[in-house]
Amino acid sequence: MKRVVQHPPARETGRTYWRSLDEYSQTPEFQGWLEKEFPAGAAEFWGDDVSRRSFLRLMGASMALAGLGMSGCRRPESHILSYAKTPEWVIPGKTLTYATSMPRRRGGAPLLVTSYQGRPIKVEGNPAHPAAKGKADLYSQASILDVYDPDRTRRFTKLGKASDRAAFLAAVDEAVKGAGNGAGLAVLSQEFNSPTVNRLRGELQKKFPQITWTTYEPLAATNAAEAARIAFGEGKALRLNTAKAKVILTLDADILGSDEGGLQAVRGFANGRKLADAQTPMNRLYAVEGRYTLTGSCSDHRLRVAASRVPAVAAALLRAVTGSGPNVELPGGVSASWITEAAADLVAAGNSALVVAGAGQSVAVHLAAAAINQALGSLGTTVEVVSAPSPSSVSFLDLTGKIREGQIKTLFILGGNPVYNSPADLNWSEWLRSVPTVIRLSDHEDETSALSTWNAPLAHYLEAWGDAVLEDGSYGSIQPMVLPLFGGISAPQFLARLAGISAGEGKDFVEGPELVQDTFRQRAGSAGFDAAWQKFVRDGYLEGSAAKPETARVSAAALASLASVEIPKPALSANNLEVAFVADTSVDDGRYANNGWLQELPDPVTKVTWDNAILISPTTAKELGLYQATENGKETTDIVRLTLGSRTLEAPILIQLGHADHALTLTLGYGRTQSGRVGDKVGYNAYALRTSAAPYVITGATLEKTGHRFQFAITQEHWSMEGRDIVREAPLEHYKQNPKFAFAQGLESHAKPTDKSFYKSPPFDYEKFHQWGMVIDLTSCTGCNACVIACQAENNIPIVGKDQVAKGRELHWMRIDRYFSGASKFRSDNHREELPNDPEMVMQPVTCMHCENAPCETVCPVNATVHNEEGLNVMAYNRCIGTRYCANNCPYKVRRFNFFDYNKRQLDSLYLGPLGEAGKPDSIQMQKNPNVTVRMRGVIEKCTFCVQRLETAKINHKVKARGAGDYDSIKIPTDSVQTACQQSCPADAIIFGDLSDPNSRVSQLKKVDRNYNLLDYLNVRPRLSYLAKVRNPNPKMPGADKVGSSLIHAGAHEGDHGTGHGVHEDGVLGHEPAAPGKEHGSH
Amino acid sequence: MSEATAHFGPAKGNIMERKPLVRNNRSMAWITEHVSAMIESKTPIWWWVFTIISGAIATLVPLELIYLVSTGVGVWGLNNPVFWAWDITNFVFWIGIGHAGTLISAILFLTRQKWRTSINRAAEAMTIFAVICAGIFPAFHVGRFWMAWFLAPVPNANAIWQNFKSPLLWDVFAVSTYFTVSLIFWYTGLIPDLATIRDRAKNVWRKYIYGVLALGWRGSNRQWRNYEKAYLILAGISTPLVLSVHSVVSFDFATSIVPGWHTTIFPPYFVAGAIFGGFAMVLSLMLPARWIFGLHDLITTKHIDNMAKIILLTGTIVGYAYTMEFFIAWYSGNPNEAWVFQFNRLSDPYIFSKWFDSGVAPYWWAYWAMFICNVFSPQLFWFKKVRTNMWAVWIICMVGPNVGMWFERFVIIVTSIHRDFLPGSWGYFSPSINDILLFVGTIGLFCFLFLLFLRFLPAITMFEVKAVLPEADPHYHGPDAKKGESH
Repeated sequence: MKRVVQHPPARETGRTYWRSLDEYSQTPEFQGWLEKEFPAGAAEFWGDDVSRRSFLRLMGASMALAGLGMSGCRRPESHILSYAKTPEWVIPGKTLTYATSMPRRRGGAPLLVTSYQGRPIKVEGNPAHPAAKGKADLYSQASILDVYDPDRTRRFTKLGKASDRAAFLAAVDEAVKGAGNGAGLAVLSQEFNSPTVNRLRGELQKKFPQITWTTYEPLAATNAAEAARIAFGEGKALRLNTAKAKVILTLDADILGSDEGGLQAVRGFANGRKLADAQTPMNRLYAVEGRYTLTGSCSDHRLRVAASRVPAVAAALLRAVTGSGPNVELPGGVSASWITEAAADLVAAGNSALVVAGAGQSVAVHLAAAAINQALGSLGTTVEVVSAPSPSSVSFLDLTGKIREGQIKTLFILGGNPVYNSPADLNWSEWLRSVPTVIRLSDHEDETSALSTWNAPLAHYLEAWGDAVLEDGSYGSIQPMVLPLFGGISAPQFLARLAGISAGEGKDFVEGPELVQDTFRQRAGSAGFDAAWQKFVRDGYLEGSAAKPETARVSAAALASLASVEIPKPALSANNLEVAFVADTSVDDGRYANNGWLQELPDPVTKVTWDNAILISPTTAKELGLYQATENGKETTDIVRLTLGSRTLEAPILIQLGHADHALTLTLGYGRTQSGRVGDKVGYNAYALRTSAAPYVITGATLEKTGHRFQFAITQEHWSMEGRDIVREAPLEHYKQNPKFAFAQGLESHAKPTDKSFYKSPPFDYEKFHQWGMVIDLTSCTGCNACVIACQAENNIPIVGKDQVAKGRELHWMRIDRYFSGASKFRSDNHREELPNDPEMVMQPVTCMHCENAPCETVCPVNATVHNEEGLNVMAYNRCIGTRYCANNCPYKVRRFNFFDYNKRQLDSLYLGPLGEAGKPDSIQMQKNPNVTVRMRGVIEKCTFCVQRLETAKINHKVKARGAGDYDSIKIPTDSVQTACQQSCPADAIIFGDLSDPNSRVSQLKKVDRNYNLLDYLNVRPRLSYLAKVRNPNPKMPGADKVGSSLIHAGAHEGDHGTGHGVHEDGVLGHEPAAPGKEHGSH
Repeated sequence: MSEATAHFGPAKGNIMERKPLVRNNRSMAWITEHVSAMIESKTPIWWWVFTIISGAIATLVPLELIYLVSTGVGVWGLNNPVFWAWDITNFVFWIGIGHAGTLISAILFLTRQKWRTSINRAAEAMTIFAVICAGIFPAFHVGRFWMAWFLAPVPNANAIWQNFKSPLLWDVFAVSTYFTVSLIFWYTGLIPDLATIRDRAKNVWRKYIYGVLALGWRGSNRQWRNYEKAYLILAGISTPLVLSVHSVVSFDFATSIVPGWHTTIFPPYFVAGAIFGGFAMVLSLMLPARWIFGLHDLITTKHIDNMAKIILLTGTIVGYAYTMEFFIAWYSGNPNEAWVFQFNRLSDPYIFSKWFDSGVAPYWWAYWAMFICNVFSPQLFWFKKVRTNMWAVWIICMVGPNVGMWFERFVIIVTSIHRDFLPGSWGYFSPSINDILLFVGTIGLFCFLFLLFLRFLPAITMFEVKAVLPEADPHYHGPDAKKGESH
């Protein structure tokens, strides 16, 4: 299809006045736009030469819905003309939200997308959906950036050369026309989880009965599905209900970190740890795992055991709980009492216990977990069997077989990236070349595109109509927020064309929601269709459609098979290493490789950005002569050559405390060669070692040093708290005896902050103004990073690139400090010392504390950072000259400096200042939140407590309360505003609100006995406080006395003080954290 | 070196006689001729060589500043948490050097230390040039240089005033006041000598330029009286400034809450350090000048001996301060404070890290370089042999205080903030090439300006040196008077 002809390209420099009016109104295209709701031109961004001007012009046109573009003024183009015809609901300056869903590997994520004048700018969870409750994980939230990714496929190509839409469509029609019964046709699709895709697939199969359909996901939970099939029958699946679980045991399952559990698992777990006081019941988590995961970090007891040895642990557990099952020898280092006591605890919890097996574990382990759950009686309470029907497909292996045999003449690839992520042993890139015609819809022109005959853009989920089966099995809608920016085609549109469904007069594809409506009609019936459809789209899901729990028993055959199952007993050693493949916490299986936010997001455990590493335990590293050292202040590590069978891989190691010995963890998703300017040449490709036989865990690897060194960009290089009272923590029993343990651990228990000041500041007015504050509950925080991405999306925080992160210049306003506790003092950065093998891990989200006595404010010479009357420490970017003194004087180091113009910096080229090419790709700028300043270089920035949200809430409320008199004293209703981090936290560990309102949750939580201020002895009076972490060890477990006790000093130390910790002359125990005070403040 | 007292003959009865400040009974005419010759003689080759070299190095300053302002502060090696490093280190280093000049001129003037006369002019010039070098850093280290005028209390549309609680603002006023007063003080002191040069000039241009600069000085009694008063007043104004500037600079750190910065000992410790560094720089510059221009009769070993003693005194004060910081860190019981001294600075890989059973302090080398240069090296000045050996003095000044004082500022700034309260935010600073080039550029600028000064202005205060000649004493009756004793 031809490109819409615009007036001659705008001159690059100089002024142009009112050049567009005539030109626009004369063209037939303009006339066409006037008639459509969305101008077709907005769909025409592909092509090689999308200039910034034409991009903005078109976007402006689409936003203005056929408004008049105005170009070429002195300032960057902006379109401030009012709508010629105002669309419904659009109020300039106001945002709109739409419910939609994001298709994901294991079920869609229910979302709410905020759109500003036609641009979607923020993704949050759908508050109406019971599984999301307003929460969304980091991938969903970061997906907004992909809409504007300038590296997305934006053209039609034939054999890598630019072609056009018409030729592509002709080729597609040609391929289908001569296909006969479809024997030579095959479709290889990524998992869309879409009923409409499935319905159209049925249509396609009706037309071509012999067509081959394969759904391939490199990280599909095939073993779990297979186990569910064996145990409960065809089309069944297990769903965790951690909310009901009192004792949870995971077998190599990262239910809190990855999508193995989903948001519901995190919420259920976290709710079981919300302690109002020491008497609140608390759940308990046992984690059996090889690499350190977030689940392990939250666990009360963690068994460090290599993934290949987990089956033996599972078998022992099965035996300990049920009394039957294979009798196996426990792997070395696993004490028998660990198993027996954990089993006893599970049995005692009965139907409130839960055992979960990880996706990487074998079918037998999943079956064992199901058998244990059944024996405990928890089948139906903590773990539910639900129907999850999916049409049967030809497996990826079989498809590869057909290709090898030359049966496939035409292969359609919908999404995915099999050339990159298929098992290495299948040699897919070679076989793909042998298929005569490969027609591909792709997000990016990636590795698979390069080998496809035809490549066309795939629409982003925010650009097309669709539907999805959500996490909980309910039926979710997908609605477009914007027309495809780069002319993308959605999977349903494409399948409908293949199936010969008419798109309507003069159209290439079905453009409206008709395809989804047909599916919806089948599901919901045609009676009252319009109203039901409206509600479906408005709610984002079909109410009451969630999968219902069914009563089911593990089949006898499955139980019998367990008795005779062979348990692997790998003899792991330095010459026989285990390799485990896991999804990366940032880029997943590689699909998010070109997403800058995710690339720069620190891994929650390793804190590595922009890379993946071979994780290895300290002991094994030492045994192999590998080391990590601080050279010139930067951690460097060895690059090693890893050999697995006939395949080798060179990659850097990273020593991971708490990792199982003689085991390596390789994260997938890196080493992309054709993902775009962000993701290319980042990390190593672990798929090169992954085989179809052992996609998750394999043994027999060897490793040798290459002699080369590597430097990671790590946001937190120091892992020890050095004995400081930063993350205060105690076991539950200690908490019961010492409800105020958090104060006794602090330095302020020795040295109360004094409150003498030269500058008596006016007090905060609690009557008249809101007084904002925040509490973060360290007991329920899992460290999942959702808040970090939420903050980045909300507050226009740019990415800075690997080189800048390596220099320590990352800009995240919110960070999660990760410490390993229980390690010895003063040794953490001396590589000659022994590193602890099995420490505990704690997480602490840190953001601006909005200190009432803010040390940053007094030192700013130009008054660029000051307090407002609501207790916020606010930044005036326009006033800031960048002395950086505030950042030096901030004890929490939450202030960030724009060392360069990061909003203009090109990631893939040297930054040359004004001499270099200006600007990031313009499309990225369209994601920016219009209510937040985009900061220039040379200014300090930091968390604002999302002041733009507070102001919006206040304005909205005042508008509602108009006429009530004194505007200043009008306060918004209790807890009616949320910061972005709070809004996204699936564990609900971040609570923000108004301290002047005694009913607000934050006011309530400030009274909890575990509430403490970080570095309170400095008397900076932070408005953000923490609830100390409590762990719930089982006293009978081996090593239970050490759990959560790293900051509990021994009695000897108390002797020094005579009166012991925290007791002062006045007899008051400890220094209670300075309550944000009316009497006290600083302006 | 003993010829200085030779003409007094055997020590009999003259044991308390002071060494003369000008040797070899030089006459007033000789002084005028000799000092003026530095300006009036044919330009020597060495001057061209050094001036061109240092001028070329000085061009790094504008080049680096253009790159810095156009591209961003990121061209330096700064990061989070080390938001200040070489920029403020260099600032404090230069401003410290700028202390000796005014100290020599003002405080020694008020305390009637006559030996100051032959070195004060050059020391003051050095002060001016050092403050110029210093001022570059705080002005340009800000993220938005073009908005640095926000620091000035000028009414603006935003109606935002400066924050007078901020030590950085105090700095702006302290440094600009110091620079202004030092410049006026220096210039005032130059006037009589400029008039001398004017009077001797044979070339019209020279006559004209020095004539304008001399402000119509005729040497009348009234002019001398006014001059003496003005000079005394300016000395009075300058004296507290010598103490205040570096105290205020130290407030940049002392008023913060950063462990290692938050130290009440800083003001006296900084002033002592500044005098220490400043005198060392005076010696570093004057010893070569003395040799090249043959000023041995004017800048005598007594001058050098005195200055070496001051360096010994202030170096020892600085050493006391370093040690006292440890005591206070221990005595305060604040573990964060103790950490900075113990594990950010002291723990070297060989002795202390083993003793503390700790990791090695990342900047241990900087701390030890500072301690050895500033505290140990000046202890050599206890020995008169060392104090009177010009080579020894020069080498000790160059590698001791000059290097050590730079490291002192680096240690205070960087080692404190690179690991402060939360270990999760700890970092490390490495300079970028631009950090280094700008600093080298300011050294070039400093030398360049000093060479211009040597060539174009009288480097020694002729009229004041004449005033300390024996002949200037109304009771003086010529060299033979003492012998005669027969009034």
